Order: sequence, then C-alpha cells, then structure tokens
Amino acid sequence: MDPLERHAIPLSQVADIDEKQIGGKAAKLAQLASAGFRIPDGFSIPVGAYREFITATELDKVIQFELGRKSFDTLRWEEIWDAALRIRTAFQTAEIPIQVQKDILKCWKQLGAQKSLAVRSSAPKEDSAQVSFAGLHESYVGVRGRAELLDAVRLVWASLWSDAALLYQHELGLDPLHSAMAVVVQELVEENVSGVAFGVDPRNPASNHSIIEAVPGLCQDLVDGILDPDRWLLARSDGRVIEVRPGNRETKESQKLLLDDENVRQVYSLLQDVEQLFGWYPDTEWTGRAERLTLLQARPITTSEPQARDEKAYYLTLRPGQKRLRKLAERVSGELIPQLEAEGEKLAAEVVTTLSDNELAKTIETRQNSLENWKQIYWDEFIPFAHGVRHLATYYNDAVHPEDPYEFVGLLRGQSMISTQRNQALTDLALQLRQHTGLLKRLNRLMQDTAETSVPFSTLEAKLEEHPGAKSFFQEFHKLLDRYMDVSYGQDRMKDQPLAVLRNLLEMAKTDSIQERETKDRADVRNLENKFFRSVGPDRETEAREILKIGRLSWRLRDDDNLLLGRVESQLLRAIEEGLDRLESAGRLEASVRPNPKLAPMMAAALRYPAGGRVEFPAEEAKTASPISRRTDIQERQLIGQPAAPGLVSGKVRLIRNATDLGKFQAGEVLVCDAIQPNMTHLVPLAGAIIERRGGMLIHGAIIAREMGIPCVNGVPNAADLLENGELVTVDGHLGIVTVGAAEFDLEIGD
Amino acid sequence: MNNIDEPIFEAEFNPDKIRSDANPDLAAQIRQLISGQSFGILCTQGQRQPYGSLIAYAFTEDLKHFFFKTQIATRKFKLLSECQRVALVVYSRCQHREDLTSVAAATITGKAIHIETGEEYQKGVNLLRNRHPYIAHFLEAESTALFRIDVVRYFHVGRFQEVSQWIP
Repeated sequence: MDPLERHAIPLSQVADIDEKQIGGKAAKLAQLASAGFRIPDGFSIPVGAYREFITATELDKVIQFELGRKSFDTLRWEEIWDAALRIRTAFQTAEIPIQVQKDILKCWKQLGAQKSLAVRSSAPKEDSAQVSFAGLHESYVGVRGRAELLDAVRLVWASLWSDAALLYQHELGLDPLHSAMAVVVQELVEENVSGVAFGVDPRNPASNHSIIEAVPGLCQDLVDGILDPDRWLLARSDGRVIEVRPGNRETKESQKLLLDDENVRQVYSLLQDVEQLFGWYPDTEWTGRAERLTLLQARPITTSEPQARDEKAYYLTLRPGQKRLRKLAERVSGELIPQLEAEGEKLAAEVVTTLSDNELAKTIETRQNSLENWKQIYWDEFIPFAHGVRHLATYYNDAVHPEDPYEFVGLLRGQSMISTQRNQALTDLALQLRQHTGLLKRLNRLMQDTAETSVPFSTLEAKLEEHPGAKSFFQEFHKLLDRYMDVSYGQDRMKDQPLAVLRNLLEMAKTDSIQERETKDRADVRNLENKFFRSVGPDRETEAREILKIGRLSWRLRDDDNLLLGRVESQLLRAIEEGLDRLESAGRLEASVRPNPKLAPMMAAALRYPAGGRVEFPAEEAKTASPISRRTDIQERQLIGQPAAPGLVSGKVRLIRNATDLGKFQAGEVLVCDAIQPNMTHLVPLAGAIIERRGGMLIHGAIIAREMGIPCVNGVPNAADLLENGELVTVDGHLGIVTVGAAEFDLEIGD
Repeated sequence: MNNIDEPIFEAEFNPDKIRSDANPDLAAQIRQLISGQSFGILCTQGQRQPYGSLIAYAFTEDLKHFFFKTQIATRKFKLLSECQRVALVVYSRCQHREDLTSVAAATITGKAIHIETGEEYQKGVNLLRNRHPYIAHFLEAESTALFRIDVVRYFHVGRFQEVSQWIP
C-alpha cells in the first residue's frame, strides 16, 4: 500500500515523503533518524488524516463559518479566543473516521500501547527557515492509552486554529479550505535532564557563540518557562566554554550544574552534527546524558520571530500557564489590589482645598505618577491575570467535554465584587425611595423639570429639605456617592454627576424586577462544581480546585481593579479641578477647559509660577471623526456581533458615551456602548437588551447579562456610530444579530 | 412553452388533471438536483410585495416536504406569517457557466406551515441538522422559527427551456 494512503506511518518509513504531507517536524526527525541520530521512536499522522477528519465531520464548514460570519479584521483578541475555543470544542466532540482511528491505533500498538507518549504538532509551514511561529500550536506530553491518544490528536489538530495561530493567520497563510495539520506521536523519553541548544546565539547571530540550556526532568518545563535553566555560552569554533550561569531553581540540587564538561561537549558535538546534516544553524531540544543523549527535535534558528513590542506578541503574553497564574494570583490579590485600594483611600481622604499652590502642584504630580505607575501594573499584571478565567475554561472543557463551551461560566456566579456591593447599595436605596411614595413622586417631577433647565444638584436638594424622608434619603445618597462613585468614567468623575446617579435610582425604583433579580443560585453553582470535580477524578481534584479558585479570583479582581484604578484617577481629576478653580479665580485661565489627566504637568507648572501670567491649556483633542457616517441611501439592516447572552428583545436605542449619558438611561431601553464598564453594571438589570462594540463571551457585560437573562450582542463594530438614540432595534442574543428598524415594505410599495 | 398558472389551493387544484408522466425519470432527476444543492431561494409575498431569500433546506425522503428555519426578526418571517403560499427555487448554479443547457433548476410551489413544537418540529430540526451540521447553533436558537413547505408540485427546467412538472 502506498504509505500516503495510510493515516499513520512509522517515522522509520517517512524519509521519502514530502514535507507537505507530514509537516516540518516529522520530516526533520526522519532525516535525523536516517543519518543515525538517536531520536525517540514514533509515527507520523500525515495531513491526509486531518483532511479526512474535518471533511467527514464537516468541521471544515464549522471553521469557515466561525471565521467568516464576521469580518476577521474586526475581531478583537477576545473574540478570536472565543472562536478558537468553539472550534476546539467542535474538534473535541467530533468522531474520528473509523479507518483513520484504525491506522493510528495500529501504529500505536506497534510503538507499545503501554508507553507514555508525546503528541506534537507538525504543521507543514511551522518550522521553515523563513518563518518560525513556535508555540502557536499545541503539544501534549505524558499521554497514555487509546482514548487519551485520540483526544490529544484531536487537540493538536484543533490547535491549527488556536487563538495564537489565528492572530497570525495572515502571516501563516491560514485558510480553512487548504490549511492542514500533521501530527507526530513519539515515545516520551523521561530522563532526569533535558534542555535546548542553539548553534548560534539567536539574540545575536553575529556573536559566534553557541548556547546550551539544561533543566531537571522534561524539556517541556524549560520550553514553557516553568524552570530556570543552567546555561552555557560556548565558542562556536571549538566548543570552549566562555560562560556558565547556574539556573535559579530554589532547590538543593540546583547548586550543582546539571551537565559536566563531558556532557556539555557531547551536546555541542550533537549541535555540530545537526548543522552539518542540514546546513543551517540548528535550534534543538534534547534529553539525557552520555550514551542516552537523545535528540527530540531540530529546526532552523530564525530571527523573524514576533517582535517583543508587537501588539500580537503582547496578546500572546495574555495566556499565562498555571505556574505564572499562581504567582500572579498571589501578587495581585495579596499585594497589588490591597495597595491600590489603600492608595485610592489615602488620596480620597486628602483635603486639597487647603493646600498652598506649591503643595497642590506637588500633589498633582504625585497623583499623576501614581496613576501612571498603576496603569503600567494594570497592563503588565492585571490584564494577564484576567486570563485565569480562560485557563479555567480550557481546563473545565478538557475535563467535562460539555456541549456548551461556556458552561463553566456558571462557576463564576455569585462572586462578591465592589460593583455588586455598589449595585446592592443602589438597589437598597431605590427600595427605600419606593417606601416614600410622596418623596418619589416629588423627585420624579423635579427631575423632569431639571432635564430641561439643568438645575444644580444642591438646589434640588435644598428644595426638598423639608420633605418627609428627604433628609435620611440624601444622607444615604451622599454616603453612596462617597463610598462608590468617587471614580472616573472617561474624563468625568461620577461623583460630580449626582443628578445622573439620582436619575438611575429613580429608574431603578420604577421597575418591579429589582428585588427579584437575585443572581446567586448556590445550588446550581454547587452542582456544577460537583460535575467538574467528578470529571477530573480524585487524582486531579486538588489541581482543579486551585484552577477554579484562581479563575474566580481573576474574574472578581478584573472588575475591582477597574474601579480601584478609576478611584485613583478620580483623585487626580479632583486635584486638577482645584487647580483650574484657582487659576480661574486669579483670572489666569485663558479659556475654560475640562479637567483631564493630561493637564497635570502644565497645571503643576502654572501653580508653581504665579508670575507666569495667563495660562492656555491645549484644547481637548477633537474626537476622531466617526469612520462610518450615516447615509440615507445605504442603511445597515442586520449588524453582526457575538451572541453574548441569549434572548430576543426589541427596544429603543440609548447610546452611552459618558457619565451624563448614564443619567439619561431609561428602563427597557437598549443600552448601546463601547463596553459595559464595572461602573455601569447597575444599569444592566434595567436594560431591555445590550449592544457593545467590545466583543467576547467572557467580557463582564456578557457574563452579567447572561446571569440576569438580558439579551446581549457584543463585538458589533461601530455600534455607536451606526445606531442613533431612539432608533428601534431587535437584539437577537441567540444568534448575535442586531436588526435595525422594523420589517417594513413601504419603500417597495411606493405609495 | 405553456404558461401554467398555479392553481388556487384546495379549490381548483386537481393533481390528476395535470400529472405528467412524459418523463418517468423526472422524480429521480429532481431528487438528484435537490440532493446536490444545499440552498435555495425562497419566494414569499405579502403587503403587495414579492420577496426572495436564500435559505438552507432539508427535505423528506418522499420529496413531499421541505424544512427550513428563519430568524424571527426578518422580513421573510413577517411575510410568511401573512401568506403561506411560497415558491422555492433550487438550481445547479455556477457549475456550468459556459453551458446554459446543462443547468438544471426546479421551482417548487407549496404552502409554508409554521411548526412550533412537537414531533414534527423535532423531525424538521433533525433533518436540517443532518444536512447542515455547521449551522447547528442557528438551528437550535430560540429566536428562529421552523417552517415546513408542503409541496404541491415541482417545475423542472432542463436544457435551458425544457420544462416538466411533477406532483410528488
């Protein structure tokens, strides 16, 4: 039989097969084996098996549909992650055709059915000399038994469409119709030392140095960055050791270098041999010492890897592994969040009105530095930690194999966050208002009047001074403002918008649903937890519990960090506001300007030099013109986004772009915004439906909407530009479609 | 070519009168055509307005019924709620651009019934899922409605203008 007609071929028989069929990894392993290198025994599953699998199961259409239902260029990384998850779930639950299974299992038995295996990707383009996108596709080590092997093969196939691979889909030339993935299955060689070796220093190819790195145990721990390796820098010419750096591994054994001089020479000589065979500088993985030294893989060193500051490369850092997440969890919850909270409270307690001009200038600078510092931490640590939820998703799905890839979200229910505490406080106050019907009516009437005249809040408060129940209501209201609303939204301080908050409260008092919408269903959460732990089994329950704990923490803190950072920003805005007041009183302000953090350096300078005369702050940057302007001849009828929360509701659009807009929101309207921020989640229960520009099934707006049973479509590009206040829309949260306007035919009929 | 008016349902319609057995293979040809295609153009009417929509269909073994799903917030759903009389056009498009005589087409007339629950609903969804597994999420969505077309007759077009009809 022609080997290519088989769906699995021993590595010893693939030497003459085109690399396009078996992928770069397998082709090079075969060449190395033929040249006499010691490599682990194994077999290749050529691309034909993948093709047969996706055609028989129609997964090809699933991929096409997933990547084609919305313009790929408009997908944010969260949406790409979701698409990859849905494709992965579809692969996991699809049946591998019988003949493909038979061929794979035949090779597996020949290899030794009891052996522990490594199942690796071998994509035709992955390791060419021109491009290297190592790490975009998956490998699984320690795979045992028939079912685990077939599961691992499915997952390696699915990783052709991993989130990382999809980010680089243009560079990789990924195409649902033509791309394919081969797999290499090898015996897992378990030695007590493994490592990598480079023919030339990849960071400095002109250096004439080779590099060897070694860690105890499996090479995977080095590749995944879990262990710090011992490192040797060698002269390329003769293998002379130029520098040795022991790894920092916090164990007694780490004191001793893992390779002696002879071992190092052997790995160096292995590098030389590989280079001679292929004619390029090799990047290799190896395991074992002396006569057990085994080559795991070899590929050319490339310098065209993603750049460190590249946006896509940054996204790739948002996929931390278990170990990094554990460290992040400790640091974020143990140190950073309490520090950020303390910083916000400290700054909020400071009185700025009594400071001298010089002191105020200093305060503004200090607050600006603090804000910048925390923003950096936000990017470097809070956002990567947010991936804890996605880590939980993958782990849960691999264990439970649910039909709905988002079933795990039920595990996040009922987490107490600053925003849920604030929402409860608002609900309590709204209920208190409902007890005082007279006050409620009066307030509603006054607010109707202020809608047109913009009466200051203090005037409104004074008007109601004598009204029964008003005093205690306003006391509570101010407490709430201080406790929860001293945060920024865009460039506004929510605390400076008491009318908007009051309007929200009045809307909340109108609806009957505020008491009923209890989102916690402890029994459901417990059932889901039990299902999860049953599926992972007793051996891995401790691990699963940790992943669940980190996932929940990551979900909770992702909300809190926004509000806490907003509180620090609010304190900077407060100080700048004070500065503006002083300049205005002194007649030094050239033109009125809204406080924003960018004014800080100029403001500090102006306050320090009173002799400096009049100050003109740069005008606010004009908002960039909407990329899509509404035309009368072309009208969007159906906008496509992600089906973030199920349900079908028609209603009128309310665009939310700033804090003032928040106050305009009326119960039952369709909330259209860039993204549901933690400081506006109290509006979610009031909304008929939600439309967001920012997409993803796991962003906060989506999860909260789902918990409350409110339809949500997110990932609608330009939603706020395409829709207008008051416009009728139908939000289909089942399918991720927003239908604009009614289904009328007046135009066609003409008369 | 004779210009055949679609008979009024129930009242004037007498299948015996117009049954054509000129071509005994016609049913097989029609089966081959609709089996080979996944999508068809559904023609609806209402508010004095004809309207056409692309749909993904499935059909029963006896070729007497077609099933399709539509989102509820669409024009075609609105029109179907107002008038059940529909046509479905299926053709072997694009494969024979240079040779029009090799294009086959069928215009299927009938009545579209909204099936909301029960065994028939499950049957229709299952048929659709088997034929279009890649839109399973669409077929399961509560915001979609299932319709069954009860076929009255097929108009089969071959060799550009050769038209035959068949009552299943």
